[in-house]
Amino acid sequence: MAKPTLKRADGLWLLARMRLIRHASERIAALYPSNVMETPVHLCIGQEAVPVGLCRHLHDDDKLFLGHRTHGPALAKGLPLEQLMAELYGRTTGCSHSYGGSMHLLDLAHGLPGSSAIVGGSIALGVGAALAAKLSGAPFIAVSYFGDAATNAGVFYESMNFAVLRALPVLFLCEDNGLSNVMRKSAHSCHDITSVAAQFMPTLLADGTDVLSVHQQAGVAVQRLRNGEGPQFLHCKTRRWMKHQGPEACDLGDPIDRQRDCPIHKLEALLRRSRLCKAAELAQIQADVERQIDAAIAFAERSPFPVPPLAEV
Amino acid sequence: MPWSRFDSNYEAPAGDRDLTFVAAIREAIDQAMGLDPRVFALGLDADDKFGVFGSMLSLSHPERVLGTPISENAMTGVALGAALCGLRPIHVHLRNDFLLVAMDQIVNYVAKWEDMYDRQVRVPLVIRSIIGRGWGCGAQHSQSLHGLFAQVPGLKVVMPATPYDAKGLLLSAIKDDSPVVFLEHRWLYKNTGSVPEAMYTIPLGKGQRLHQGSSLTVVATSLAAIHALVACDSQQLDVDLIDPRTLKPLDSELILESVGRTGRLLVVDYDFPFGGFAAEVCALVAERALDRLRLPPQRLCFPDRGMPASGPLERAYYPTPERIGAVMQRMIAGAPVGETLVS
Repeated sequence: MAKPTLKRADGLWLLARMRLIRHASERIAALYPSNVMETPVHLCIGQEAVPVGLCRHLHDDDKLFLGHRTHGPALAKGLPLEQLMAELYGRTTGCSHSYGGSMHLLDLAHGLPGSSAIVGGSIALGVGAALAAKLSGAPFIAVSYFGDAATNAGVFYESMNFAVLRALPVLFLCEDNGLSNVMRKSAHSCHDITSVAAQFMPTLLADGTDVLSVHQQAGVAVQRLRNGEGPQFLHCKTRRWMKHQGPEACDLGDPIDRQRDCPIHKLEALLRRSRLCKAAELAQIQADVERQIDAAIAFAERSPFPVPPLAEV
Repeated sequence: MPWSRFDSNYEAPAGDRDLTFVAAIREAIDQAMGLDPRVFALGLDADDKFGVFGSMLSLSHPERVLGTPISENAMTGVALGAALCGLRPIHVHLRNDFLLVAMDQIVNYVAKWEDMYDRQVRVPLVIRSIIGRGWGCGAQHSQSLHGLFAQVPGLKVVMPATPYDAKGLLLSAIKDDSPVVFLEHRWLYKNTGSVPEAMYTIPLGKGQRLHQGSSLTVVATSLAAIHALVACDSQQLDVDLIDPRTLKPLDSELILESVGRTGRLLVVDYDFPFGGFAAEVCALVAERALDRLRLPPQRLCFPDRGMPASGPLERAYYPTPERIGAVMQRMIAGAPVGETLVS
């Protein structure tokens, strides 16, 4: 793997998007015990590099299909934060009009046709989106975004097989946090994920705690897809800092080193070291993100709840 | 949208052109593909030389017929993903039993997607599947299970009985912006009837009266409706035979109006009895027209166990026009049966 190089504009974008996800997640965790959000939350603190490094290469029209750990990838793809917060607050202004909750986010303007809380199944939907692109001659690509545990499901193999048979423009992105709920990977999988995927298609590996690594490898994969080279697989190994669900820190696996394992810390250190941006700019990004979060929460709080009964379809 | 161009709902067959049931299905698919480039079909053996029992043979757009691996679950997700991205897939299955492999996608995904996003996205997906029966096909190649699908919010369930209905209902299903499960009985495929050549739709949720009478209401769909009709005709029974055509949405008013006149209800349902479509119709009548009933409502279904293979057992397992006719006669004579009738 060539040593990643970084442009200033990319660096600032990656940092801002990772900070948005990180601080919004931390705010959700802080608010969650007060029960203002009546929906399960699967936070992705520590995993920000994976969706952000990927989405820097995606256009609004590219389709991203997600599992249950939605917030990070959805925000990375462009879902407005106030629509996410309003959805978590159960308000009609949420991205799914309060019908979806945390695990079912939609933003058609930003290429999010929906997410699923049944692990694995949405892999097939990404393949279907890629089939639609191919059959209709549309220029978009699709991404099936899933975790390591989803590679135990049959739909993972069925989807890879069909995607390769039809040479579809779909990226299989495995956000491998090494945990399936509370099971370590060694307890839930006997296979090596990259080796399995390599039976089907070209594979790439990235350090999922390093946004530059993900950014570089995702760039290679996305370019191949846009060139019409058929399905690609990107395996990103990362760390889940939080419990499977809820606002508490994870107490499984090797202890997290919040410097060494932190994608934001790594990128900021590089930006400082390389003098690509000034300390004041880094501080400004953080301040902007906090303001955005304040505004999004205020928006959610003043938005209306839906009024029962459910409308007849 | 191209589909607004032929939005005519024929009330009855017009013209003198006869087609088989399977030819009517084939014509609907061919015309839909010709009208709308977003329509495509996929499924196991969808593109082989048999063309799904002839229902997809020699279509005008073979490039839009995709054979798939035996991966029904993922292929249902693929169809859903394509539907979410602007296409109108027809996912075809050679047997209803195979749909069970895809129940995660059908129930958790296809049926729920519009609800989960408050219908900001639509799912114009048709799941076509064929019901088998006989020749020792046994317990895994003979199930209908339409009651199972009708139980799930978000799925429309259509079961045509005649060639005319097959074409008009399939075009309605393809035109519909929401998921439709479209179930065809293999034993109907060779039946013939008048089918207009022009494209036409039959509204989903509108049943029809197949036989006029005033002594007994019989509700039946698909092959059961045809068998009940044969019984009415051959035994000259005073039966009001209602074919809802779509289980969901259900034409409740047509059933209630009929029961209001006859005071007697028999549901002939070629499915397992427990918690099924026949039970649903009986519940509907019990809730809304109990005072009009002169006899307890009656169900005639399959036995509550898997289909046997051996000829003698199999022939005893399934209802027939003769058996349906005998039950009708008993009810018209005013004899309450008092239990679910199974073979």
